[in-house]
Amino acid sequence: MKELEKTKRISIAATLTILIVLIAVLSFERPKHLYKVNSINTLEKIVSADYFVSLDDINNPNYILIDVRNQFEYEKGNIENAINITTSEILSDNNTDILKEIEEKEKIALLYGARPNDVNGAFLMLTQLGYKNVKILTVNNSYLDNQLITKNVSIEKSNADIQAFIDESVKKASKGVKKKVVVKKPAKKVITVKKKKKAPAEGGC
Amino acid sequence: MVKKKVAKVLALRYMILAGILIILAGGLVLLPKYEKHEGIKPEQLLSNVISPERYISTDKLADILINQDPSYLLIDVRDEESYTKYSLPNAINIPLKKLLSEDFEAYLNQDQYNVVLYSNDNFYADQAWIICNRLDYKNLNVLKGGINKWYETIINPPKPTENMPAEAFELYTFRKAASMYFGVAYPEQFKAPVAKKVVPKKVITVKKKKKAPAEGGC
Repeated sequence: MKELEKTKRISIAATLTILIVLIAVLSFERPKHLYKVNSINTLEKIVSADYFVSLDDINNPNYILIDVRNQFEYEKGNIENAINITTSEILSDNNTDILKEIEEKEKIALLYGARPNDVNGAFLMLTQLGYKNVKILTVNNSYLDNQLITKNVSIEKSNADIQAFIDESVKKASKGVKKKVVVKKPAKKVITVKKKKKAPAEGGC
Repeated sequence: MVKKKVAKVLALRYMILAGILIILAGGLVLLPKYEKHEGIKPEQLLSNVISPERYISTDKLADILINQDPSYLLIDVRDEESYTKYSLPNAINIPLKKLLSEDFEAYLNQDQYNVVLYSNDNFYADQAWIICNRLDYKNLNVLKGGINKWYETIINPPKPTENMPAEAFELYTFRKAASMYFGVAYPEQFKAPVAKKVVPKKVITVKKKKKAPAEGGC
């Protein structure tokens, strides 16, 4: 009888464990958004730099323009046929549906913002979530008389050679110093001349 | 008969329980899918990305460098060539390509220093920051505007025009002083030391005056 009771307890414990595990599995909610690309592959993608599109190539019918600025800016002025998906809303259900649809149609989502720097976040988020059809339109958007002006820009271009600028400034400055030294030498002579005049006056006493 | 049946069920029960456990264990096979999901949640990452908290201005960085704050570490994510050509003082070069290599992990994944990432603009530095932030690396900052902005504001600051507020002039004085610290020379900068040299010369002439009366005494 004792044996039987023991086995009973064990079987009850086992059934309970299985039940708990089952409940846990069923109630486990799969997160909505998961990275599909790990960091190393993301980095490779970034370094490849094959995701930039210039303004001249915009007329490709495969491109679907997406404006990542906020709604106000979008309504103020946007590139023709662009859809507005603000960066902060990029994970919302609506926008996920839109992006999925673009992916299914095998088109390319072309992101743009006020500057390429502003698109970076949205672009990297989508890339890491596994969208392979995302590119950046390398433009600056600004306003003149409430008209949107879109200009091509190059990414990460070095504007100035700083080392050369510093060397140049030192050269210029040192040239200036030489000139000034020449100017001050005659000043000294003037002072000594004055001394001579004083000396004979004192000696007279 | 009844006893036999009960015994049969009893024997089977363990088989069934074991079977269910094995099936559940089989579920573990599905888990490697999550391996790619390293780092913080996408939602969290997005809110970090939107926040401008990571940016540090060139003026603040200049202040930090001049005061030689030891808690800051500068990391240049441009390629080696640009790094050797010009870089900020005491910066370390980690080209974007090699960002995740093991050699450099110690610089990025630590909590002793405030790290400032920079590139020509802040495009690549931002990308580096986003990747590191996903991996939950702490204390990372990005130099807003990068080296280009550094040139425009610190190395070659624009002179304020006369109708600008006093703050603009104060800022210009600071930036100009900073640029001198970082090696830029101004023509008028040399006026000051030259003027100082004139002062000891005057002292010399005073001595000569003393000699003069002695000569006169004879």
